[in-house]
Amino acid sequence: MTLPSVDRLNAAICAIAATRDRAAFQIVFDHFAPRVKSYLVRLGASAPLAEDLAQEALLTVWRKAALFDPARASASTWIFTIARNLRIDAIRRERRPDLDPNDPSLQPEAERDAGDSLDWGKAEDRLRTALAALPKEQAEIISLSFLAEKPHSAIAAELGLPLGTVKSRIRLAMARLRLALGDSP
Amino acid sequence: MSIAHHPGEELLLSYASGAANEAVALLVASHLALCRQCRLVVASSEAAGGSLLEDIPPVAMSAQAYQSVLSRLDEPAAAIVRSAHLDSSVPAPLRAYIGNDIDGIAWRPIVSGLAHYPLVTRDGVRARLIRAEPGAGVAPHTHRGEEWTLVLTGSFSDVTGRYGPGDVQTTTPDIEHQPTADPGPACINLAVTDAPLVFRGFLPKLVGKMFGF
Ligand SMILES: [Zn+2]
Repeated sequence: MTLPSVDRLNAAICAIAATRDRAAFQIVFDHFAPRVKSYLVRLGASAPLAEDLAQEALLTVWRKAALFDPARASASTWIFTIARNLRIDAIRRERRPDLDPNDPSLQPEAERDAGDSLDWGKAEDRLRTALAALPKEQAEIISLSFLAEKPHSAIAAELGLPLGTVKSRIRLAMARLRLALGDSP
Repeated sequence: MSIAHHPGEELLLSYASGAANEAVALLVASHLALCRQCRLVVASSEAAGGSLLEDIPPVAMSAQAYQSVLSRLDEPAAAIVRSAHLDSSVPAPLRAYIGNDIDGIAWRPIVSGLAHYPLVTRDGVRARLIRAEPGAGVAPHTHRGEEWTLVLTGSFSDVTGRYGPGDVQTTTPDIEHQPTADPGPACINLAVTDAPLVFRGFLPKLVGKMFGF
């Protein structure tokens, strides 16, 4: 079975927003629900809880599809943020101080009001390539940052590295990712 | 507003990944509302998260999962609320804690010229607002852990430099400093500490204990 392309998944979410397209929803569900479940299990959720939250995440995709903007984030990035926030809310029972990217009171004004020309969808492709090309020791820390809910001090201890080394690897990795976006630091 | 001091990238990354607790996330999100540059760093980190989600080995959903979600698609859902423009010196993420009006806060006095307002404590990490009249400041201290301070109004200075609206000062255990509000409007900042400060001298120690610094 071939995986649906990024463009197809992005288009499917737009179709949900435009016409409440259930066939499109099934494409998104089949692709993302098992990945969201896996992400939650990796972060320590029991299988039944991960299952419930993955269903909840996909229901959120259906309900909030109108907020999805492929020029701002790909389907996987948008759904990652949904799963992350659901997890903080349901498992850590904390409020997530968050931003509405379209909030007109953001300063300086929200990116596109400022006439920004960065096409985020394209930029994410380049970022993916850059991520895959990161030196192993940098990629490892980025991956642990997302898939092990630990402060960087704990990641440092686990890898037997000084905290300063972990921080400098993060900075090096982030510099490469930013370069891939074509944004000058 | 020109911002000279930004949170470290490891802090932005832990916000994007969801590892940062609520107190730290409140400070980061409030800075993001004021700083486009850091919004881009967070957006690239989130894209890295999206990429990891794409590549993760899937775990099968239960056989009835899809049907069960389908049966809920027509449930009434909360309307999507879009943010309206609001002319407020309170960054949007902080409004959930204190409302829109920074002048309406019920400050709790500490010493003359200095007051605070606790916001949230998570895992021993405290977020609070600090209000310092010009010339007032926190007695000389070092830290057991890290301290992040986001300036909302006015400015303050210490041995490491001057910090104005939008700036985030990061201090580590090795720094001893005595931040003092500059002349002008009162300096209001959002301070996040992950361990009590270590004061020099008896009186500051006592005051620090009483107010949980
Ligand atoms: Zn910044």
